[in-house]
Amino acid sequence: MDTNDLILRLGADVKPADSRFVTRRLFIALSVGSGLALILLLLWQGLNPDLANAMKHRFFWMKAGYCLALGAPALLSVSRLARPDGQPPRIALSFAVPILLVGLIAAVELVLTPSSQWLAMWLGHSWSVCPWRVLALSGPIFLGLLWAFRAFAPTQLRLAGALAGVSAGALGAMVYGLHCPESSALFLLTWYSLGIGLAAAVGALLGPRLLRW
Amino acid sequence: MTSEDDLKMLMIDGLRGDRRAHEDLLRAIAPILTAYFRRRCGSGGLEPEDLMQETLIAIHEKRATFDASRPFTVWMFAIARYKLIDAYRKLKRSPPTEELSDILAVEGFESAVSARMDVDRLLGFLPSKQSEALRKTKITGLSVAEHAKTSGLSESDVKISVHRGLKGLAARLRGEN
Repeated sequence: MDTNDLILRLGADVKPADSRFVTRRLFIALSVGSGLALILLLLWQGLNPDLANAMKHRFFWMKAGYCLALGAPALLSVSRLARPDGQPPRIALSFAVPILLVGLIAAVELVLTPSSQWLAMWLGHSWSVCPWRVLALSGPIFLGLLWAFRAFAPTQLRLAGALAGVSAGALGAMVYGLHCPESSALFLLTWYSLGIGLAAAVGALLGPRLLRW
Repeated sequence: MTSEDDLKMLMIDGLRGDRRAHEDLLRAIAPILTAYFRRRCGSGGLEPEDLMQETLIAIHEKRATFDASRPFTVWMFAIARYKLIDAYRKLKRSPPTEELSDILAVEGFESAVSARMDVDRLLGFLPSKQSEALRKTKITGLSVAEHAKTSGLSESDVKISVHRGLKGLAARLRGEN
């Protein structure tokens, strides 16, 4: 096609663009995705029947805080990688902070608990299902992010996919915290992290295929 | 009309809905993109013109991802580079290795950008005719004939500008003026 014709055709399509396009679209994707994850949790697992009581304990907030501290830097990076010239901020350190903190609390727990109960504390009642549920709940959020990225222009597809996976995993884990009755830092550190890690791996695997444009 | 500032201004006006500015922008960057792809296509089935048009479409469709607080040319070349890699991927070949390592190295990318800014600053000391001739023939990658045609100068005029510009830069770097 003649370049001039092409330019005129593209020009005919010009409408004012939203200057906060990326942020707004990510916000919609995350709200809808998290809402669907919550509905999924309610239909599938239900809330923790003892939720009101659980919320009085610091473990509930530790779980939520851990997920938030992992999800926030991931989301910030995702919003940068939405642009072709975007580089993620140096976030390796900020991922390490919640992991180290919860690791420290887990170490204290271990010291305070007789070693005969260590295995029970580590595995809780739900170790074998927790990571998979986190992964499943991250699904709608990850799909939301994929939808948002269809209008973005990422150039580092695998990295963007992996960090979208971490974001979705962390938010999914936060939603799962409304059901999960477990209350040890060691459990959180192992099984929640594993679920979030699985979501990251899925994202890294699918990114190059699904984020192409 | 092809400095970073000019292009960015056109881009921002286009984003506000100014159709004329948007068309001017696409017209101004088309030859830059063609030159960019021509230097990187080599032999083997990739057409610089096709890639240029594909990139124009991408720039149009993805224009909302431009962040007005960042340089336009960095955004534009990031899209061009992506389209180039994508084209090589479709051919199941890898792009020229120096290009690929450029892309993979984040540090390299950043220093390339700051090097570009240093070059811009240095060129700023030259008369505009000389800096434009240097920019087009040595950075954008146009031939002397191409630049002569687009700028309306004669070829010998362009050659003289390039020569004087280089001499001026050398003197500047030696600290003579």
